[in-house]
Amino acid sequence: MATLQLSALQKRYANGFVALHGVDLAVEDGELIVIVGPSGCGKSTLLRTLAGLESITSGELTINERRVNELEPAERDIAMVFQNYALYPHMSVFDNMAYGLKNRGVPKDDIRRRVNATAELLDLGALLDRRPRQLSGGQRQRVAMGRAIVREPQVFLFDEPLSNLDAKLRVQMRLEIRRLQKRLKVTSVYVTHDQTEAMTLADRLVVMNAGRVEQCGTPMALYERPATRFVAGFIGSPAMNFLPVTVHGERLRLPDGGELALATGLESGSELTLGVRPEHLVALDEGDATTDAGAVIRATVEMIEPLGADTLAYARMEGLDELLVVRLHGEHAAGEGSVLRLWLSPERCHLFGDDDRRIEAHHATPVTGARG
Amino acid sequence: MRYQRPGLDLASHLLLAVGCGLFFLPVWLAFTASTHSMSDLYANVAPLWVGDAGLSNYARLIHDPVGGLGTDVLRLLANSMVMALGIAVGKIAISLLAAYAIVFFRFPLRRLCFWLIFITLMLPVEVRILPTYEVVADLHLLDSYPGLILPLIASATATFLLRQFYLTIPPELVEAARIDGAGPWRFLRDILLPLSKTNIAALFVIMFIYGWNQYLWPLLITTNADYLTVVVSLKRLLTTGDALVPWQDVTATAMLAMGPPVLVILLMQRYFVKGLVETEK
Repeated sequence: MATLQLSALQKRYANGFVALHGVDLAVEDGELIVIVGPSGCGKSTLLRTLAGLESITSGELTINERRVNELEPAERDIAMVFQNYALYPHMSVFDNMAYGLKNRGVPKDDIRRRVNATAELLDLGALLDRRPRQLSGGQRQRVAMGRAIVREPQVFLFDEPLSNLDAKLRVQMRLEIRRLQKRLKVTSVYVTHDQTEAMTLADRLVVMNAGRVEQCGTPMALYERPATRFVAGFIGSPAMNFLPVTVHGERLRLPDGGELALATGLESGSELTLGVRPEHLVALDEGDATTDAGAVIRATVEMIEPLGADTLAYARMEGLDELLVVRLHGEHAAGEGSVLRLWLSPERCHLFGDDDRRIEAHHATPVTGARG
Repeated sequence: MRYQRPGLDLASHLLLAVGCGLFFLPVWLAFTASTHSMSDLYANVAPLWVGDAGLSNYARLIHDPVGGLGTDVLRLLANSMVMALGIAVGKIAISLLAAYAIVFFRFPLRRLCFWLIFITLMLPVEVRILPTYEVVADLHLLDSYPGLILPLIASATATFLLRQFYLTIPPELVEAARIDGAGPWRFLRDILLPLSKTNIAALFVIMFIYGWNQYLWPLLITTNADYLTVVVSLKRLLTTGDALVPWQDVTATAMLAMGPPVLVILLMQRYFVKGLVETEK
């Protein structure tokens, strides 16, 4: 059981490249933290500095309030699951799992007992004598997990452990990892570039970009209140639509000339970015009444992607260069070329300033006219 | 590759058979010659079939000091064996560590070290033989096993081969071992050595034969018959001055000299091929 504390953690490589610009993060005991971000954002570097595979340039890393900056990976009491599993090819499954324990001088009987118990937990009992090459991808993945679990470490580190698996297996292993982590209650840090994986696994999510933490919070908090435009675009699939808007008093002027009642307190003429998720653009049927509180956008459908339960429509809105992505019901009859009337609710809008930071806005409710 | 052409099959087999025959013929001639008595050999043309003096010829060579050499063939074989094994094992041990250092450790001038080793590929024994002789003489290693082995013990070829193999080992494997608490020596012993055992076997075969076949160097530094190697002795047997060349002894010694390398190949053939064509991962 362990807590993990990162204070102003910085990593600068010998060639001068700064991979981490002072990362602060506190991981609670038993928590599963998922670090997510595009490739090259420093998430793997961060994990590797936690593991001790990369040195820390400045800042402090503590596990259970013990400074571990200078400790070797083996002395940090962590276990890591690698993307390509990194199983020892010449060792049996049993030996793969036992190797770390052997090196620590755990007595033979203990090793056997612990490996067998872990194998039981992961359903690997029948495979203990096999070599890694005789196993399927999913089985190797489980052995890699087993190798981590059997050590009973303070912290688990996962480096994109599911990205080498096919889609179906990935979902299955995702659930398995979640189940095991809850059961073993081991503090975990999980790195992935797959935002679905991130959303579903995380107790708390850390979104990284260019060596900095953009935002940290529960998956739903990040989904509902992204702190920056980057987070807004990264969390959620398909990605959020962004529209350039101009402040006009207590209203915003949309690219197509329409207006939306949303008070920002900024002076008129300020240019902002309005974000709205594809699932929050509501397609109105003919005759549906609209309220003052929102704006209606007209957009011509250029392409349709039926996904079954939902249909994604890529639609052209006047005054906007990019296509608007709209998530419609699977049964929606929109065809290519048809015009959608989309209701934009102020409650569902996110505003970002020119520094890409979130701006809190107040939507005026039509009934009272007061700021909410 | 297989083509559905019986004629092609037949022709290739025929060609193979002829090739084998050509290579085998001298060995066969040497073998038959070694089983005749000296008078037989000088009275007739080269015999194509075995004679009746085989056992006595070999027994004499093994038990009694050979004329002109001052030692028996068993001693020669033992000397060759010590030298070949010393060179093979030494080369592998040194290359293994050198390649390990070059691939897995970051130290200043790492690249330079690698290229320095690599350049020595261009400097075989023959090129540096005078300074090497000087050094070995100064160290009083003439006529000794270390003198036979040490100057030949470094190998750029083996270092390069092992380096290429080590480079194919995924870095995550090294990291996983670090997290599992394996220090550098333990990683070498538990992970790297088992993974490179087929490469090592292949290198052993090549280096053993290289060591066994050394001629110029042992010829230069051994004057004492106690350190004479079997390959060098063959030439000595031929220089008899006015006396007749004892062909039955020469050929029998040659047959015996062929034994150990052939045995090494037969025993390690499986690993040898595996080590050269595939990397186990």
